[in-house]
Amino acid sequence: MKSINYYYYIKTSRQLTRGSLLKLLTILLMGLASCTDFVEVDPPKNILISETVFNDPATVESALANIYFKIREQGMVSGRNGLTTLMGIYSDDLDYFGFDASFLELYQHNVAGSNNTIQGWWNTAYNIIYATNDIISGVDNSSTLTIEEGEQFKGQALFVRAYVHSLLVSLFGDIPYITTTDYLVNGTASRQSIDVVYKHIISDLNNALMLLENTDDTGERVLPNQLVAKALLARVYLYKENWEMAEDLSSQLIDTYNLEADVNDVFLKESRETLWQLKPGESPRNTQEANELIIQFIPGQKYALTNTLIAAFESGDLRLDHWTGSISNTDGTVTLAFAHKYKYTLTETESLEYSVIFRLAEQYLIRAEARTQLGNISGAQLDLNAIRNRAGLANTTAKTKTDLLNAILKERRVELFAEQGHRWFDLKRTGTAGSVLSAVKPNWQATNVLLPIPETELEANPKLLPQNPGY
Amino acid sequence: MKNNYISQSRRILFFSFCLILVPIFTEALSIDGILLNHHTANANIQQSPIHGVIKDVAGLPVPGAHIKIKGSSQGVASDFDGSYIILAQPNDTLIVSALGFITQTIVVNNVSQINIQLIEDVTQLDVVTLNAGYYSVEEKERTGNIVSIKAKTIEKQPVNNPLAAMQGHLSGVNIVQSSGVPGSGFDIEIRGKNFINGVSDPLFIVDGIPFSSQSLGSFDVSGQINNGNISPLNAINPSDIESIEVLKDADATAIYGSRGANGVVLITTKKGKVGKTQFKANMSSTLGQVSNFLDLMNTQQYLEIRKEGINNDGFGSFLENPAFDFIWPDVKSWDNTRYTDWQKELIGGTAYRNNAQLSVSGGSEGTQFLISGGYQKETTVFPGDANYKKATVHSNLNHQSNDKRFKMNLSTIYTNEKNVLPRTDFTSMAYRLEPNAPELYDDTGNLNWENNTWDNPLAALEEIYEVKINTLIANAGMSYMVFPNLEFKTNLGYNTYGLESYRTLPSSARNPQFGFTPQNYSSITTNNSKRVSWIIEPQLNWTKQWENSKLQVLLGSTFQRERSQQFVQKGMGFPNNSLILNLTAAETLDVLEDSDSEYSYQAFFGRVNFNWKDKYILNLTGRRDGSSRFGPGKQFGNFGAVGLAWLFSNERMFSKNSILSFGKLRASYGSTGSDNIGDYKFLDTYHVTGFDYNGATILEPTGIFNPLFGWEENIKLEAALELGFLQDRILINTSWYRNRSSNQLIGIPLAATTGFPELTGNFDATVENTGFEVDFRSVNIQNKHFKWTTTFNISVPKNKLVKFPGLETSTFANRFIIGKPLTITKLYHALGVDTEAGVYQFEDYNEDDVISSPQDRQWIEDLAPEFYGGLGNVLSYKNFTLDFFFQFKKQNAFNELRFVATPGYRGNASVRLLDRWQQPGDSNPIEMASGGLALREDTGGLQRRSQAAISDASFIRLRSVSLNYKLPTIRKGFDVNVYLQGQNLLTFTNYDGPDPEQPSNSQLPQLRQLTLGLQLGF
Repeated sequence: MKSINYYYYIKTSRQLTRGSLLKLLTILLMGLASCTDFVEVDPPKNILISETVFNDPATVESALANIYFKIREQGMVSGRNGLTTLMGIYSDDLDYFGFDASFLELYQHNVAGSNNTIQGWWNTAYNIIYATNDIISGVDNSSTLTIEEGEQFKGQALFVRAYVHSLLVSLFGDIPYITTTDYLVNGTASRQSIDVVYKHIISDLNNALMLLENTDDTGERVLPNQLVAKALLARVYLYKENWEMAEDLSSQLIDTYNLEADVNDVFLKESRETLWQLKPGESPRNTQEANELIIQFIPGQKYALTNTLIAAFESGDLRLDHWTGSISNTDGTVTLAFAHKYKYTLTETESLEYSVIFRLAEQYLIRAEARTQLGNISGAQLDLNAIRNRAGLANTTAKTKTDLLNAILKERRVELFAEQGHRWFDLKRTGTAGSVLSAVKPNWQATNVLLPIPETELEANPKLLPQNPGY
Repeated sequence: MKNNYISQSRRILFFSFCLILVPIFTEALSIDGILLNHHTANANIQQSPIHGVIKDVAGLPVPGAHIKIKGSSQGVASDFDGSYIILAQPNDTLIVSALGFITQTIVVNNVSQINIQLIEDVTQLDVVTLNAGYYSVEEKERTGNIVSIKAKTIEKQPVNNPLAAMQGHLSGVNIVQSSGVPGSGFDIEIRGKNFINGVSDPLFIVDGIPFSSQSLGSFDVSGQINNGNISPLNAINPSDIESIEVLKDADATAIYGSRGANGVVLITTKKGKVGKTQFKANMSSTLGQVSNFLDLMNTQQYLEIRKEGINNDGFGSFLENPAFDFIWPDVKSWDNTRYTDWQKELIGGTAYRNNAQLSVSGGSEGTQFLISGGYQKETTVFPGDANYKKATVHSNLNHQSNDKRFKMNLSTIYTNEKNVLPRTDFTSMAYRLEPNAPELYDDTGNLNWENNTWDNPLAALEEIYEVKINTLIANAGMSYMVFPNLEFKTNLGYNTYGLESYRTLPSSARNPQFGFTPQNYSSITTNNSKRVSWIIEPQLNWTKQWENSKLQVLLGSTFQRERSQQFVQKGMGFPNNSLILNLTAAETLDVLEDSDSEYSYQAFFGRVNFNWKDKYILNLTGRRDGSSRFGPGKQFGNFGAVGLAWLFSNERMFSKNSILSFGKLRASYGSTGSDNIGDYKFLDTYHVTGFDYNGATILEPTGIFNPLFGWEENIKLEAALELGFLQDRILINTSWYRNRSSNQLIGIPLAATTGFPELTGNFDATVENTGFEVDFRSVNIQNKHFKWTTTFNISVPKNKLVKFPGLETSTFANRFIIGKPLTITKLYHALGVDTEAGVYQFEDYNEDDVISSPQDRQWIEDLAPEFYGGLGNVLSYKNFTLDFFFQFKKQNAFNELRFVATPGYRGNASVRLLDRWQQPGDSNPIEMASGGLALREDTGGLQRRSQAAISDASFIRLRSVSLNYKLPTIRKGFDVNVYLQGQNLLTFTNYDGPDPEQPSNSQLPQLRQLTLGLQLGF
């Protein structure tokens, strides 16, 4: 019996521990179950809460860098699948030898609403516009940025917003002008008339002009400043046929910058006539434009200059020698010409060229056209000759308004070929697209002056209906 | 003897103490107390040893049988040779049980040697215990829908991945292998697609630990070989699995709350068994080949149609002009008499797999262990020496204290996989390459580029993709019987999944004409990813038994944290290609992705099960869940279910002898949820992309954020009838279910004008899955030498979009129709070929004379299976066992017209395209040939998106066959088995494509495999 007592004692003490253990566990179970801290986690290292982005100028710069990166790599302005190549094949600048179905649709003028490339342009454009709007509102709400910092950031964002919309309106006609990040508003936005869109563009650009400085802090002209905003505004006024304003703005630029004397220097990264260029990434170190346009082998060609473009060069034009190249296949049966403004492909190890978006030569041609329209024939001739002389050509012989306008249009073609779709936009705005393109594009229809709104967008937002005519 | 006496005295005192301390347990304790007192009184009576041998009907020893004295907890297990020894009193009754045998009771009756012959349990219904996750339940008593597949069935299939072993065997579970390339992933859907967007993956639990089935593969690295989808479940060696249970209805899944909406798959690995230490070795070799090749054009047919196409396009005259040869090298530059069967060349090889496994297991009553190791090497059907290697180690340790109050189980799985594959799957090349395409190698043995007129497919062999995966799953479960009816239990789990992969693009894989050098072209992309998670699940289990009823209560909570990291880098520019694997030699190094995410999950769950007279069972389950994937105030959600079962065969009106031996009616209703949307979606954020502009690192807005989204809900209703006939030799389970998913948590597609393609949010749409499932098992013949059993299952699922407010004006307007399944696709209505114009015609629904999307895509086809299931038979005669299993599915799928519908384009195609229109008046089904040069409407493109590109892809497939021969026993305890297994041997189908199960023309179809193996046990 003694032993029983002994064990009784042991048992009791054990039981005590068990009992308290049980209580403890129950408390633990219930206690932990009701604590919400456990399910709150810190954001990871590759994510920044939006608010904090706008507390520091360095992170706002990073947010802007995203915009320029996207402009360079994706969508309408990029050298790869942008206006330079694709509106080149849509007009009479370039022939297309590749097999991409959506490119072929553009080349053959049978574009469908489901065209991937056009969908990509549309998506990227509005993604960039969202980024600009987020920066504009972020900067407005930030209490830590200085006024000067805020103005520069907001000015750049306004400029880009206007720039992207200006390309969209040229391609698609009526489009929504997006000025907020609210998806409820943007997701059901209606199309606005071309005039309204241009009003927004001009207003944004005027605001940007007030906010931006007219100096180039980067030393390489790789960020837009006040002068770039003026260059776009001059182009917008040209398209809007507001000749006085176009002349005024382009004059301001012509007074500030100088043309390069040698055509070989125009597209180098140090070129003095560049207003805004996009700096390549570390790899590629040169431009996508060179990579796409230069033909290295036949077969293997993607884009070649059309015969009509080559024929448009006058004899002795330095640009024909220096801005185009030609190549034949091994047995010499095929010879093709290609754009050679940019000479350094991605495989080069040294960075010599950047992608030029705005350059002074365009401003000369804008002013020439504006002056012609305003009746300033001699002034127009001066501007036109500045471009012609640089290309080794004699002064223009055009004297009448009509002749001069034709001469300027032709000069624009040989000066601005394979650059940002200038040829197409010129044909479109001057109403000559039909007469010129119907000869080379059997599928040409008058409605082709506008591209279709991407099919899936009409499905996603029925307020974008109706589709552009002809699609 | 003394110890026994003492411990019992201890127990009495302990219980007396409890009596005072915890009034709540009084009743149970007093019952136990009485029982124990009774035992104490008998403890002095003399016990004597009783021994004997336990054998089955065939006279083979039954090791591991459990011999227990009725009314006591005393028991022993039989040895490997079936022998046992136990201490018992002369008037004791022995209860002898073993898995798969009918339990016997034998009165000792003063005999000292008792040899027992156990009779195999035909039906096994009584002994089958199903793992329901937090608890286990007897097959007979379950109130929920749980289907399972056991080691016996899994072992007979020579497969790599547990999901492959499940294919066709389980009702309501639809599994499709995405590619025949070793290591690739699977799509699994349990009872249909619940959510408009988002994955349909169920929750996988391996030995109690949630195991993420989401691949960490990077599309940058492996996008072209297995879609970046590498199944993490490859890490679990099918031969280490004891059973896989699939939980389907609310009763079974509600205890998993927010993660149970798509069902739960429980994988339980093997454990050691009591008995002599046993060694098992298993070696097998497998040959695999593509089971079906397409009927493609030969050179003559191909060239004829190419020329015809170019002529039809109006370019015929240019064919004669050598200046244009570069446009059509296949027609003009290449040898027009050459013919290569590219399918044979590129995917026609034989894949070899060698597999070796060794396991050691055994243990005493108190501690059992099992260690198994496996090694496997598998090659591909592709050219080159790509291969997949896998090494697994699995161990399991069980221990219980002498008084059986403390139990512990430790299980670990460690797997190392290495997969080396070409960068791209050769399958689409094999189907598309021109039949007269040039030699792969030139005379000097270098890749032939034929004057730059083609891309040599074997260049991809230079471009290596390699992935190494290390997986560790470790689980420790501990339980302690605090009181005889109260158990405290904790599961501790830890798992890591690490993936290291790279893909190289050396300049040597490109046409030298392009002038690519290692400096300007060669690159390597690496992906190092890791997922680590831990889980703690403390639980309390309380059981109380009355004379007529039994109550079980479970309370528990879960704490889980998971961290995923992904680091993708790209190195470019190397001094030479042999340094390509060394990132330090790269001239530039870009970080493409450096991300980490954290997921925290916490829950409180419970179960109450009440069983009245083994006739009426009520099962209540519930869970309160919190997840870090939701914003403040939206983190918690409640889920619960009620399950009821009526075992009407236990009612008095059914006598023991009636034909109906088992009858149960059960029903369940409840809710589950899903938080499968990715982490941090509720935050308004910018993220780092890894690029920079002008020296500034890029910060990109992540997307449109929504701080307000919450759980999505899935209400499940089920009713089932389970019947057993003739002593349960025939079992039929029939269930009907209706699952409704609402509050759909989806990326709502947005118009691009918002800046982003989608927004995550709850959407007020309801998706309904209803269906009917039948599981049938029967033992057709059973006698001493011959046994024949049959299993059959069929599922008839139906999916429907029930509610979608504002569908017409929403972004889904052209994808879904209310009242139709989510799996529909809208197509053009093809009307055949215009006999005059020779091009495809389509119905112009809106009569605007233009065939355009979406207005004219009004033809609806459903691509979900109409029904599917499997039929298996096991025949055993003496030492032979033959298993064969058929899988069947009725469905429609895209056919070869989906990929090419116009003859004459560059690239080979099906011979079906030869049946084309050639001149006005022809009424062939295929339109006129075209070289793709004419400037006309792409009618072929419309045809590819029309109902003509859909055809019946129903099939009956002999998924697995296994013939096993057990060599007559040479020596006691030495078993030798020889087996021949086949996988995917025969397919009956009208489908023309490569594989009706996976209708794709760019993925390698599943292989046909034949395995010869040898198993030794001693």
